[in-house]
Amino acid sequence: MAGGEKKKSGGGGKKKEVKKETGLGLSFTKDENFGEWYSEVVVNGEMIEYYDISGCYILRPWAMSIWENMQTFFDAEIKKMKVKNCYFPLFVSPGVLQKEKDHIEGFAPEVAWVTKSGESDLEVPIAIRPTSETVMYPYYSKWIRGHRDLPLKLNQWCNVVRWEFSNPTPFIRSREFLWQEGHTAFATKEEADTEVLQILELYRRIYEEFLAIPVTKGRKSELEKFAGGLYTTSVEAFIPNTGRGIQGATSHCLGQNFAKMFEINFENEKGEKSMVWQNSWAYSTRTIGVMVMVHGDNKGLVLPPKVAALQVIVIPVPYKDADTQGIFDACAATVATLSDAGIRAEADLRENYSPGWKYSNWEMKGVPLRIEIGPRDLANNQVRAVRRDNGEKTDISRVFLVEQVKGMLDKIQQNLFDVAKQKRDACIEVVKTWDKFVKALGQKKLILAPWCDEEEVEKDVKTRTKGEMGAAKSLCTPFEQPELPEGTKCFASGKPAKKWTYWGRSY
Amino acid sequence: MVSSLRLPALTSLISPSFTRRSTVSLRRRLHLRPPLAAGFSAQSAASSPTETEDRVDSKKSGRVQDRGSTDRVITPRSQDFNAWYIDVIANAELADYGPVRGTMVIRPYGYAMWEAIQDYLNVKFKETGHSNMYFPQFIPYSFIEKEASHVEGFSPELALVTIGGGKELEEKLVVRPTSETIVNHMFTQWIHSYRDLPLMINQWANVTRWEMRTKPFVRTLEFLWQEGHTAHATLEEAEKEALQMIDVYTKFAYEQAAIPVIAGRKSKVETFAGADKTYTIEAMMGDRKALQAGTSHNLGQNFSRAFGTQFTDENGLRQHVWQTSWAISTRFVGGIIMTHGDDAGLMLPPRIAPIQVVIVPIWKKVDEKTGVLDAASSVAETLKNAGLKVKLDDTDQRTPGWKFNFWEMKGVPLRIEIGPRDVSSGSVVISRRDIPGKQGKVFGISMEPSILEAYVKDRLDEIQSSLLQRAISFRDSNIVDVSSYEELKEAISLGKWARGPWSASDADELRIKEETGATIRCFPFEQPQGTKACLMTGKPADEVAIFAKCY
Repeated sequence: MAGGEKKKSGGGGKKKEVKKETGLGLSFTKDENFGEWYSEVVVNGEMIEYYDISGCYILRPWAMSIWENMQTFFDAEIKKMKVKNCYFPLFVSPGVLQKEKDHIEGFAPEVAWVTKSGESDLEVPIAIRPTSETVMYPYYSKWIRGHRDLPLKLNQWCNVVRWEFSNPTPFIRSREFLWQEGHTAFATKEEADTEVLQILELYRRIYEEFLAIPVTKGRKSELEKFAGGLYTTSVEAFIPNTGRGIQGATSHCLGQNFAKMFEINFENEKGEKSMVWQNSWAYSTRTIGVMVMVHGDNKGLVLPPKVAALQVIVIPVPYKDADTQGIFDACAATVATLSDAGIRAEADLRENYSPGWKYSNWEMKGVPLRIEIGPRDLANNQVRAVRRDNGEKTDISRVFLVEQVKGMLDKIQQNLFDVAKQKRDACIEVVKTWDKFVKALGQKKLILAPWCDEEEVEKDVKTRTKGEMGAAKSLCTPFEQPELPEGTKCFASGKPAKKWTYWGRSY
Repeated sequence: MVSSLRLPALTSLISPSFTRRSTVSLRRRLHLRPPLAAGFSAQSAASSPTETEDRVDSKKSGRVQDRGSTDRVITPRSQDFNAWYIDVIANAELADYGPVRGTMVIRPYGYAMWEAIQDYLNVKFKETGHSNMYFPQFIPYSFIEKEASHVEGFSPELALVTIGGGKELEEKLVVRPTSETIVNHMFTQWIHSYRDLPLMINQWANVTRWEMRTKPFVRTLEFLWQEGHTAHATLEEAEKEALQMIDVYTKFAYEQAAIPVIAGRKSKVETFAGADKTYTIEAMMGDRKALQAGTSHNLGQNFSRAFGTQFTDENGLRQHVWQTSWAISTRFVGGIIMTHGDDAGLMLPPRIAPIQVVIVPIWKKVDEKTGVLDAASSVAETLKNAGLKVKLDDTDQRTPGWKFNFWEMKGVPLRIEIGPRDVSSGSVVISRRDIPGKQGKVFGISMEPSILEAYVKDRLDEIQSSLLQRAISFRDSNIVDVSSYEELKEAISLGKWARGPWSASDADELRIKEETGATIRCFPFEQPQGTKACLMTGKPADEVAIFAKCY
């Protein structure tokens, strides 16, 4: 456990340790060994540092700023919807935690317990929140009296802890993670239903507009919905390399189940006692992991410009006899011009590293656009811009610097999305029979199949597909439904199909 | 069923406001209030009709009368400061008690104050070259043990996780009380050469200290804070950083929170467990107790030696890094409440206030309502577009008089009243929270957007500086210069702060604490000129210290 001894010899995210001879710095490729590639790229890209406690990771500034960029967007949007931020305690008393039966069955196995303070044992162990429904709702019961207290719309940005044992993966599955959790209460189901979809749309925008990842909006099956809720909607992403779906964010309508358990009642306009309708919704630092998996390549991270901490890195390329000072000045001036225009730009003026080393370094970190300035550029009053996403090189006159760079960043953002969508779409396979389903699953497909929507059938699918890779399950029933001709049969049971549903293995 | 949720007894939350090490017990029994009544029903009782003078037509129009002063629930501040504090937090909906003893739910109005603090500081931290990151909440117990004085200082109040996912853990985990140990563990892996320095990071996080005596915002088992951690190549740089950050805090306190803190250095006895030097900002609360509102530590090489955090300097030699850490927490919200509030409730500095301007429309007849509400909405729109935080209270459930009292209790700096006469004259009436009654009220301010906007902004600026001036006067009139222990005792017994030359021993310092309940709050940076003799020993002293009782 001692600090000094644990220093890693390679791949520890240290600039010096990037392999100069290959210019890559990654020892695994995305296609050949995805899991190892991912673990390496999040560390070498300086997003994550591993830690002595399994499943807990350190979020380094490079990752944190992506989180903050999404947070800025989402926080402003929910404030427009009159959602207010607040903070509920980390600690949950066991009594409250156990109040909602289905809910606690879902979470109990993953709870971490504080049992001691200092040297003394606590009378009753205290749980650390895995989610806050049971912490918050006793207060909703206390604060909500009449219809004028509704809607009550609260959100908190915080950490939660789920002590899972299954294969921890940075961002994707960690024992502690950061998230926002919104919890709202309404007088009517209609209002709750509307909000579920409003929030889901914000989640779609985070993925598609900020992270440049295509997602599918849809509804979860009864088996996959939030424990204790009425129904769950989600945005689902897909990782082509592993052929796994990944739940991007969820927006739940809890119905009146929690209201009943926690006695969250109000007096309506007619003076009658009613129960509230509730929602809860969340997205977490998992978003960052999905982004790394979808866009990263063999050179490292690839960050979408809208979330990147740094959008442009400016690198001087001096030659022996060149006007080094002039080049450095041009770099500084370029950064100043871009910064003034609201573009996140920096120059890498370190003298102990070669330009080539810097290229690899910033490619590893995924900066969307690199600007090189050498003697020829200086002479021509231009800069050379190199895109991270496709390597395309363009000479830009310094006269049109800002508009050109802005245009390129927009193009990168769009191209990342287009490429990701193309790859994802290429994985979608429509199947109607069990045989084809099994075959598609083996080919790592995202499967769209007609389904009878019965819980037993989904359980059966899980059982029949169990194996090393994990079982297949329903991912979501997309809101956008293709036509379902009369007489279409369920792919798994042969019963009449009710809907088209996405299936696959998942994270 | 709700009864099964054990809300802690109020006594456990509002009792002792002394530091936990205090042995003196001078406090009287607090006047206990009933537990926080549910939301709005509590507020409805919070009004007193004093402000509903003739302009307000509630009485004549035969609406529901405001309740009299007999059932107001805010204890006057002048009568019982602690009870007042608890009442204000409940009635202004700043916080509620958490389900576990000593924890707190921060409600939106209180949280918005914390967000105002965050917004300001986060920008300042970035401007001074710090990056945000996030360290895990769990720390292996072995980390904490590495720095001897650190573990000694924190071990009694550590919360320990021993069970996770249904299994006994191999090593018990500490729920972070502060992050120096985990930060150093990582710095050791990240720092190799002088080129990696300075390393300057910050995190916004929750921390846990299993305190026995708690008080909302001021001391809770879990609280929110930012903690900055930096590593430098030289002692000078670390010292400069520690001073720079206490300066950021000082500016924040003065300019944003209107709290005239005294910045200085802690005595050895009061220095952070594991630091060489602790700098602090000390604020005087309305009851004249001191509140330590922010600290910045020069950690020297204590943690880098314990964790082996070394770098290769320009000459190729291995050196231990020099470090700092600094923090401000949700405790500061308590400081704002206790600095500016009055008998009527909260009084918020405009730059911190979640709502800067409240607009109360006043109408009597139905045919007046539309005109008044239209005018009120357009005034609200004007001010919102000017970047101000505005609330239009257009509910018809409450009388204007009730609303006046309610928003005063919530501490909103400015109130705009708009009635039918104002609509026809195209003007509004504006009242200041910091100047009660007619003196703080100005009639006939034009609704014309540019005029109104400029007027409101000027008044907010005035309120901001007037709150600061008032707090400075209060502070200065309650600090007594003392030259002997007798004088010190007298000043402390009068509830004041005592300032006097000090060069005596740690034992003498502890004796003062035993005998008077006062501690050295700091050796202020601003020192009087001239030769000084220690108030305790009469020997020469280099500095004056400030003694006070504290939270």
